Amino acid sequence: MAQYTLLIANRGEIAMRIIRACVKLGHDFVCVYTAADVHSGHVRLARELGGPDRLFRISSYQDPSEMLAVADASGATAVHPGYGFFAEDFRFARRVVERKRPLIFIGPSWTLVRDLGDKINTKRIARAHGVPTIPGSDRPIYDEMEAVELAQTIFAFQHDQGIAEGCVLVKASAGGGGMGIEEVYDLDTFRSVYRRIRNYAKRNLSDEGVLIEQRIFDFNHLEVQVVAERGGKNAVHLGTRNCSVQSLGRQKRIEVAPGFDPSSLTYAFDAAGVLDAITRHSVNMSLQVGYDNVGTWEWIVTPRGEPFLMEVNTRIQVENGVSGITSRIKGRTVCGREDCQNGVDVISEQIRLGLGEPLGYTQQDVSFAGVGIEYRILAEDPLDRFTPCLGRIEAFGWRSEPWLQVFTQVPSMSLGDQPYEIPMDFDPNLALGIVWGESLEEACRRGADFLNGLVLQGTDTRDEPLRTNVAFLLGRTQTLLHF
Amino acid sequence: MDIDKRTQELAARLTYIRDIFGQRENSSMAMLRTRLEEFLEKAPQLGMRELSRQVAKLEELFVLLEGKLESELTPMDRVRIVRHPQRICLKDILENVYDNYTEIGGQDEWSIDPGMIIARATIARRMGKKTVHQSVMVLGQEKGHGQEFRNGGSIKPWGNANALYYMRVAEIENIPIHSYVFTPGAFPVEDYPGAAQQISKNLYVMAGLKVPIISVFSEGGSGGAEAIALADKRLMLSHGYYSVISPEGAAAIEGGLKDKATPELIEACASRLRITAADNLELGFIDRVIQEPPLGARPEHYDFFRQLRREVIRATDEVVDSVDGLGPLRGMAIRRQAKAADPQDIFVRWSLGTGARTKLVDRRFEKFRAMSRTACRDNRSLGARIYSGLEGMLWAAHSTLRHDFLTRYKRHLLHLLEAAEAELRALRQGVGGPLGKFLGLGDGQQRRLEVAPEALERLTLLSCPEEGACRLEDTWVYVSPKSREDRTLTCPNSHTHGCLDLWGPDLFGEFAGVCSHCGHHFSMEFQWYLYNVFNFAQAYEFNSELESSNPLGYEGFDLKLEQAKRQTGLGSSCITFETHIEGVTTVVAVLVSPFRGGTVGAAEGEKIIRAAERAMLKRTPFILYSHGTAGIRIQEGTCGVIQMPRVTMAVRRYIEAGGLYLVLYDTNSFAGPVASFLGCSAYQFAVRSSNIGFAGPGVIRETTGVEVPPKYHRAFSALSRGHIQGIWDRRDIKKNLHQALLTMGGKNLYYR
Amino acid sequence: MLNVKEMLEELNASPYEEIEIKTPHTGVIDFVGLNPGDRVSGPSGKWLERPGTLLANLTREKNKKPICATQKGQVMDIRSELEGKFVEAGERLLTIRHFLSKEEVIGRILKKALHLFHAPERAKYYFVPEIDAKIKAGGEQSVKVREGLDMFIVSRMKRETPLSYSGPEGMIYAVYFQQGDNVDGGQPLIGVCPESQLSLIQDVVNRVQGEWEERD
Repeated sequence: MAQYTLLIANRGEIAMRIIRACVKLGHDFVCVYTAADVHSGHVRLARELGGPDRLFRISSYQDPSEMLAVADASGATAVHPGYGFFAEDFRFARRVVERKRPLIFIGPSWTLVRDLGDKINTKRIARAHGVPTIPGSDRPIYDEMEAVELAQTIFAFQHDQGIAEGCVLVKASAGGGGMGIEEVYDLDTFRSVYRRIRNYAKRNLSDEGVLIEQRIFDFNHLEVQVVAERGGKNAVHLGTRNCSVQSLGRQKRIEVAPGFDPSSLTYAFDAAGVLDAITRHSVNMSLQVGYDNVGTWEWIVTPRGEPFLMEVNTRIQVENGVSGITSRIKGRTVCGREDCQNGVDVISEQIRLGLGEPLGYTQQDVSFAGVGIEYRILAEDPLDRFTPCLGRIEAFGWRSEPWLQVFTQVPSMSLGDQPYEIPMDFDPNLALGIVWGESLEEACRRGADFLNGLVLQGTDTRDEPLRTNVAFLLGRTQTLLHF
Repeated sequence: MDIDKRTQELAARLTYIRDIFGQRENSSMAMLRTRLEEFLEKAPQLGMRELSRQVAKLEELFVLLEGKLESELTPMDRVRIVRHPQRICLKDILENVYDNYTEIGGQDEWSIDPGMIIARATIARRMGKKTVHQSVMVLGQEKGHGQEFRNGGSIKPWGNANALYYMRVAEIENIPIHSYVFTPGAFPVEDYPGAAQQISKNLYVMAGLKVPIISVFSEGGSGGAEAIALADKRLMLSHGYYSVISPEGAAAIEGGLKDKATPELIEACASRLRITAADNLELGFIDRVIQEPPLGARPEHYDFFRQLRREVIRATDEVVDSVDGLGPLRGMAIRRQAKAADPQDIFVRWSLGTGARTKLVDRRFEKFRAMSRTACRDNRSLGARIYSGLEGMLWAAHSTLRHDFLTRYKRHLLHLLEAAEAELRALRQGVGGPLGKFLGLGDGQQRRLEVAPEALERLTLLSCPEEGACRLEDTWVYVSPKSREDRTLTCPNSHTHGCLDLWGPDLFGEFAGVCSHCGHHFSMEFQWYLYNVFNFAQAYEFNSELESSNPLGYEGFDLKLEQAKRQTGLGSSCITFETHIEGVTTVVAVLVSPFRGGTVGAAEGEKIIRAAERAMLKRTPFILYSHGTAGIRIQEGTCGVIQMPRVTMAVRRYIEAGGLYLVLYDTNSFAGPVASFLGCSAYQFAVRSSNIGFAGPGVIRETTGVEVPPKYHRAFSALSRGHIQGIWDRRDIKKNLHQALLTMGGKNLYYR
Repeated sequence: MLNVKEMLEELNASPYEEIEIKTPHTGVIDFVGLNPGDRVSGPSGKWLERPGTLLANLTREKNKKPICATQKGQVMDIRSELEGKFVEAGERLLTIRHFLSKEEVIGRILKKALHLFHAPERAKYYFVPEIDAKIKAGGEQSVKVREGLDMFIVSRMKRETPLSYSGPEGMIYAVYFQQGDNVDGGQPLIGVCPESQLSLIQDVVNRVQGEWEERD
């Protein structure tokens, strides 16, 4: 196997997982860090496994020039973007492969990153391939008459479906981040809302296009993990996961694989059928568009059991491990960690496929076992509206179990180690804990065990003991899994 | 006569000569000096009679040699004459040429701009035994024999605004305007109303001013001069100069701006620029030269003032005569006045009738339209020229028929149809009640919301499948070659806005040269605009055969011009074409920065005028896009300057005929063009990060000693000042232009 | 009470400040023939529009960027071993010894005389828009503060919370932070001068103007 040097253009827990995957696959790696991250686990791990000359201090994780300058200086031949930062930045992906000294981009081709990175485009591509999407417009509406007509149809459609209180979502097509978006409950107010949004868009986004969609309540948020090889000829899925438990700002908290569990829970609809449909649609669409790396197809499932494709994430996701831990590939004994039987390390797969290796198995070779639950440990104060907290962590640890994987950039403090300062420039993610059980019930029990055994000591900047949302989870783990 | 006084006068004359001739030593001058010194040495021993005889001899010698020196004057000497504190100034003229006057533009230093004098003056003329006092509005720059507060006749924007106001007053009062040009150039500050902006306003208004305007040039410094000199008759004092730039300025540019230019280079530039009265008469930019006494007129030359009086009266008479047919005898008399005695003996009424006033403006336009026509190269064959002439005539006929004749009837018909349709609707709504029910038009009670299958399809299936699944990103027809280089660039705002370095291919390709973080616009080639905004691929270019030339035979310029033509593949810095912007037919003129800095000379002026005429003929909007212009092309001298009034007049005619004239600035637009035909548009927009102004920061520092802040000329400053009407993002220009065409023009475009 | 004399003496004992010039980002460094002991000058011009002396060029991805002196002073020690090498971000290149000017001395003394309002925690701080606009329009000293006035926006982990001023009433005399930069907890944000102390401040200014000798 050819040996590559991967530049890891990321930090924290994902950087650590990539470092481990590189070591496992026999590739070299180059790691970057900023001044605020000197004590981060990924820096320690890189020094431990690669030595000091594998590490470069840079000014910012968000500056592509820094990454590529380091890549050239270190002789890297490929770039792994991780998640966040450059993961869905098609310009970075394009620059990486089109520069004078091209590098391999561990991720899908930049054209796919671009096309599937745009929600409207994704909707149109999905519709072109017969994949169900949320009822509504699939292109910006510029004409008021057309908009009203569309809204009218959506209300009528909801009425027909027996939805008592119909709701339409009006949003600026060029907007994002929750700005320029409003819900409308009746046609009379629609016009004024439409005008408001349109004027907002014209003034702030210089494009007055507006999208009009059905607003769906009480849905489940499901994801399909797709794995495809370079060239996009072969693709399989690694099952589904349920990410419905989210906090304010759509921050995911808990992810469970598989997405539905008809064996232990009852549903108002044909849950197995839905899972089958969304995996089938996802893999089909992946093949149709020639998708060529790992990616996630995000679905919403209405209370009536209709799945609609919402978006495609053209990157590895934080919660990939929960799909990996429940998937098995025939004839493969490779696994993420030795103490976890026969899981699939999605990151290793991503690197392998990104470097051009064939998939080597088909959907028939993939099987699923048990239930995985991922808990995100975040530096947030659950008693104060989940405000992020800063401070130092003096002790952090957990009981090692064969059914448990923990990913964290916080060094597990032994005596004499420096306390870890929570850096303020990034998301407040501290650690991911993934538990596995034969059944949902067992997984939940083990999850509670894990959280109960978690040690976290430290103080925040206001000299109060550090509370993370662990406390929040402890009380309600069971009830929150309400699928 | 007191001998002492006479010798003092002689000494002063000698000093004056020395001032004029500068460093150059000269035999006549040496002789005068030795003679004077000898005389002064001997004087104490001489008797009264002998003294008187000697002084008289000396005076004769002075007259003789001054006459000789006169013939040796170089252009630069004339510049020195004009700048000399003893040079006659406007106050002298007001006192000696006119019979009475009242200053109305302020008094001395108590004036909004002491450099600009405005006065109502009278000229007395005889009508038989009666004396008639004819009123004129006199205005001009006052150098004030070196008075500090006059600012050397360099006029601030508000001074020009004041002059313009009183020109309008003259128009209302129907009295002629006499303007005297005594300025080294306008004071280049952008404080409201802005140097460039105000000059362009002056030009625009003067182009249509319905009273005779006579201007007299003594010192005609470029834009500052044009602000009051768009006249029906342009006279020039024989020792004056009229130029696009001061010889020092030209030398600085020639010499590479850094170190001070040598006197030799300044001399050379002065003669190359052809700035003297004789030169300008030959080039056709002035109508007559008024001969001054040897070595230039000074306040003691009363004969000269009498002559000046005759000349301005005659010029005014001629203008009036040309539009307001005088009686045959008087007309003849005026025309023969060159020989005739005092023109003030023949009475000509200076207030014009209505018809004559319109005719006057037409005449003025024709006069300027004809100037500098030969100063560019027309590469068209004779056949092509005849053809284009014929084409123009056909188009004229076609437009009249279509727009004036047909539209009137079409409009009538449309109104009828509209009314009929509205009636029908009213009928249907009115019968919506009983009759409607009966007809089954609508049932209010049992409304079931049933979604038709095809409506449902619209909610769930791909709309407009013919557009493809992917909405194409904005892809540019023309992509800059700069985007092929693998390198990064730093945004100039990075230290204040924290912009990351930009990758060249992203920046110059997809981003169209706009910093994705702060919105700073890097400059782009003109082709980018031609193809991505003006749809040049489908455009019809015209008059490309009109090429820049070297009308003054400016030394070394032929080579530079050839080089520019070779490098850009263009014949001049102006491209004119007819195109469709989102379906709207428009005529576009583009000033191209890489061709000699986008400077405007005779060819460019002519092309823009023809483009405006074409737009007028075809009744389309006219867009002038300045990709960058450094000003008037100095190597063309006054052939360049004259484009300011010329083009402004053409544009005004187009606007008055009902056209929509829109200006778009990009990169750096400065000086003459901004102060005339660009600045006079009511609709001026700028591309972000562009600079607009009269003179660059370096020139301002040099001429005024004022340091201007770094962002002084930014488009945003121009916007706050009210110069431009809006700032556009480069990527939205096409959209904004189209919207502008629709909102400012309406659907049936642009003709009232 | 403030002992201005003592403080002046203290400052006189070490009348300079050492400024470390560090690389803003990675790249290949090229010193432009600078030697230790060379004098350099900071930005100049009425609007500080002319950059300071060129110290080195940093080339990254074919983009050569100048690194210029931020203050006038003397070049102390140059890490010439880095010449032509690829360096990491934040690497020290050289040190400039900068002698304190009168304004700087006044600033240092005032920091002890004024009421300082400290950052409660490590975060990014911004003025609220109204105050920001006032400062931009009329300078720092145009803003009067009083107990409970909403003054700052604290940005931490991508979330923003308001922060109000507490302390004596007065006007802002100095701002000690850059908007958008990280400020550690306990660092002063602004210095406020109560009305009653204005004469004292004026006294400090006069003393320094009279007694401090500027050196190059």
